[in-house]
Amino acid sequence: MKQVFSLIFIITVVTGLQAQTVITGKVINNKNEPLTSASIRIKESGKGVKADSTGAFRLITSEKGKKVLLVSSIGYTSKELDLLLNDSAQYIKVVLEDEAKLLGDVIVLGAGTFEASDKAKGASLTPMDAVTVAGSGADIANSLRALPGVQQVGESEGLFVRGGTSDEAKQFIDGVLFPNANYAAIPGIMQPARVNPFLFKGILFNTGGYSSLYGDALSSALILETVDLPDKSEASLHLFPTSQGLGFQQVDKNKQRSAGATASYSNASLYNKVVSQKAAYFHGPEYISGDFNFRIKTSKTGILKFYTNYGYNNVGLHTPDIDSSNLLSAFQVKGNNVYSNLSYKESLNNNWKIETALSHNYNKENIQTALLTNEKEKLYLPYSPFREKNDSITNESNFINGKLVFSKRLARRQAFRFGSEYINNTARQSTDSAKSSYTENAVALFAEGDVYISKAIAARIGLRSEYSGLLNRFNLAPRISLAYKIGNGSQLNMAYGIFYQKPAGSFLLQNENLAFTQATHYIINYQVKASNRLLRAEIFYKTYKNLVSTDPLTGNNGDGYAKGFELFFRDKKTIKDLDYWISYSYLDTKRKYLDYPYQLSPSYTTPHTFSLAVKKFFPELKFSANMAYAFATGRPYYDMRTGSDGKVAIYGKGTTNSYHNINVSFAYLFSLFKKWNDFSGIGFGMNNVLGSNQVFGYNYSYNGNNKAPVTLPATRFYYIGIFMSFGTDRRDDFINQNL
Amino acid sequence: MKKSVLIIMVFAMLQLPGIAQDASKEIVTTVGKLDKAKTVKDYQELAVNFLKIAESEKTSWLSWYYAAFCNAKIGWLYQEDGDKIEPFANLANEQINKSLSLLDTAKQKKELSELYCVLAMLNQAKVFMNPATYGREFGPIAFNYIRLAQKTNPENPRALYLLGWEKFYTPKAYGGDKAKAKELLTDAKQKLEINAAVGVYPHWGNMEVMDLLKQAR
Repeated sequence: MKQVFSLIFIITVVTGLQAQTVITGKVINNKNEPLTSASIRIKESGKGVKADSTGAFRLITSEKGKKVLLVSSIGYTSKELDLLLNDSAQYIKVVLEDEAKLLGDVIVLGAGTFEASDKAKGASLTPMDAVTVAGSGADIANSLRALPGVQQVGESEGLFVRGGTSDEAKQFIDGVLFPNANYAAIPGIMQPARVNPFLFKGILFNTGGYSSLYGDALSSALILETVDLPDKSEASLHLFPTSQGLGFQQVDKNKQRSAGATASYSNASLYNKVVSQKAAYFHGPEYISGDFNFRIKTSKTGILKFYTNYGYNNVGLHTPDIDSSNLLSAFQVKGNNVYSNLSYKESLNNNWKIETALSHNYNKENIQTALLTNEKEKLYLPYSPFREKNDSITNESNFINGKLVFSKRLARRQAFRFGSEYINNTARQSTDSAKSSYTENAVALFAEGDVYISKAIAARIGLRSEYSGLLNRFNLAPRISLAYKIGNGSQLNMAYGIFYQKPAGSFLLQNENLAFTQATHYIINYQVKASNRLLRAEIFYKTYKNLVSTDPLTGNNGDGYAKGFELFFRDKKTIKDLDYWISYSYLDTKRKYLDYPYQLSPSYTTPHTFSLAVKKFFPELKFSANMAYAFATGRPYYDMRTGSDGKVAIYGKGTTNSYHNINVSFAYLFSLFKKWNDFSGIGFGMNNVLGSNQVFGYNYSYNGNNKAPVTLPATRFYYIGIFMSFGTDRRDDFINQNL
Repeated sequence: MKKSVLIIMVFAMLQLPGIAQDASKEIVTTVGKLDKAKTVKDYQELAVNFLKIAESEKTSWLSWYYAAFCNAKIGWLYQEDGDKIEPFANLANEQINKSLSLLDTAKQKKELSELYCVLAMLNQAKVFMNPATYGREFGPIAFNYIRLAQKTNPENPRALYLLGWEKFYTPKAYGGDKAKAKELLTDAKQKLEINAAVGVYPHWGNMEVMDLLKQAR
């Protein structure tokens, strides 16, 4: 029996000793900290061991030859090490790198950017969030006034960004310019937007530092991306006292093609009889619009889209003449505008992509001004200032913008883009006394790269060069954005760039020998996202050069600066079904341009602006309520005119009272005709609920003795109406119809 | 002598590496830990562990299923933090598809029902990223998987739990029904008690059902 046990003992020991390698080691991170409970095992073998509290491990294996050691630890990128197992003991020190994958990649959006995309997560904005701000009247630029960086300028449409005029903020659809976003302008009264904001699935709102792919805007670029194919075919209609319209869209069975059209008519004369307006309208305001689109999926990854919009407005009003006690000033504008946009994008081989677009805009406006007696009869007085009050001006412009961009995706979310664009613009103006016109042919080249400098730092570096045939000048604009990922959900961004803009058409008609106006932006921004909340703080500094000056002659002798600080906080979590955001902007800006005698704070700027936007949805009641509150400190106004010495000077100035405004809007959803699968709702709302007396500025009479406030056309604005759509179950989509 | 040889052979065999018992012991202990998991960190560790087991046991659908379940669960734990969800939902998607490829979908109906439950969970996690926008696309997909889970195995308490969850959280105006939800959850609770913790086959759900029933009162 002893022999058997000895045999057992020997066999056990022998088989036990057979091909055993002892691997010991330590697992640490790049801060030399031990990674306790890191896992270490031979790949393709089930057995593994865990590191102890000092990061040390001991792995005993019977494997032999070339093997791979797999070392992993949660939050770190696993490492594979080649081993040669040959019975001798081995010691290995393993250093594991932080795993960026689970923390999310650094995104280079640059400072000075708000993105509203339908791919937004957490508390980031979606296009619907932007568009449904109470009281914005289906005008995207208007709704963006609830975000930091934009001034509240109640008497005019457009985006007034960080001290810039609305002319310095341009809108782009699918990459190419959209020159006349609103109907023909009327002094002192905001005009509606032409395009339905629900056309867009992505809104990239830059308050500064925008990409090299865009140009000709000193302050801001509003970059809009249209939707691709709709989900289902449907017909829709809306009936409001001031606007009625129909629409349809058709998607084919294979969801490869779609087409749609809408038409609407709007006339506020009936509404104006009920709600008295400060201006006496003798025509309209009347608006007619129609649009048509088609979209074709050319392949799995390619799509061709076409959109065209026709808009007509006819508005005539008279107001008391400021230079007299009993005369009236009449103003009437008739505008016709056709805008078309054709775009195509497709993925090519080897991670290349092509995007190309072409936009065309034809615009013709006829403006008639007249001096009228109290009995509404035309009066002609041959001396200033009355002589200039009878006029007829026609502006006609034809604009084409084509752009071609190639982009290549590289490793680790890096990319490289380059391309060119072409602009052709012919503008003609004729008045009772004179005619003028210009033609512009401009070309631009641009290139931009997204690179990861390290695992936590990403950069976007770009260069843009433009040539204007009309000005016969070149420019070169470098642009850099950096993003530094600090931790889970927080990021520090910086941007620097030079931005050029051609002087406005009205100046080019006077003098084609002007230079590009120029702005340089410096921006730093900090953003943190967590628990469906978002906080963003930004500081900026801008310098302006070569701004257009008009006194004594049209030239580029203007300059200026703008600096400030902005805060944005959004919370979708704290209160159930309640979504709110707060924004605050501080702006300090002065510029010398046009006929300013020296640097002044322009009348469309103010130091402090605050906005609160609240939305609450009651799912059980199918009812939604939105409120927007805006506050701004007073705006400066000036009596600026040419004195008897022939020089422009400031003869009087002041600051308006602070601005307070509350808008509310509501929607109630229901279904009228169950068998037609309709989705309907009633929308109603009110602007300026408080009825606050909003004075945006003052106009001075010719001799400076009289000043008239610039205010809202009526204290409050009301709307109520019904919207219906048939053919799509849009119950999750209701806000679409919330005008 | 024969007995001794037998003993020797057994002893010798015991020294040889790579015995199947070790691998299944690992999954047993990991599933045991899963029964006690509560936080995101717990589920993250478990996901990594299940992945290791999946890589060594090449034909097992179960470990891939559990890895996907852990990642989908993390997506649900982050439902009020939409920014964090996406990487986990994507991992869950990859892993459940691997599990699906290892399953005989014609014969293994009970197992398929479990996979459908995880598919429903990971799609609902995508909805949590931003319900207003992702709900439109992934909400209906999640609901379809819940129904498929129930169809392939009407006795599956986890499918009943998800169905109850759906009925509870959908507003009445859109087809929700809190009373029906309570019924489904009570049914799920009973079925879970009958098939209490059996080995490594999916048996989660008790904690989730109890939590939801508490709210349903």
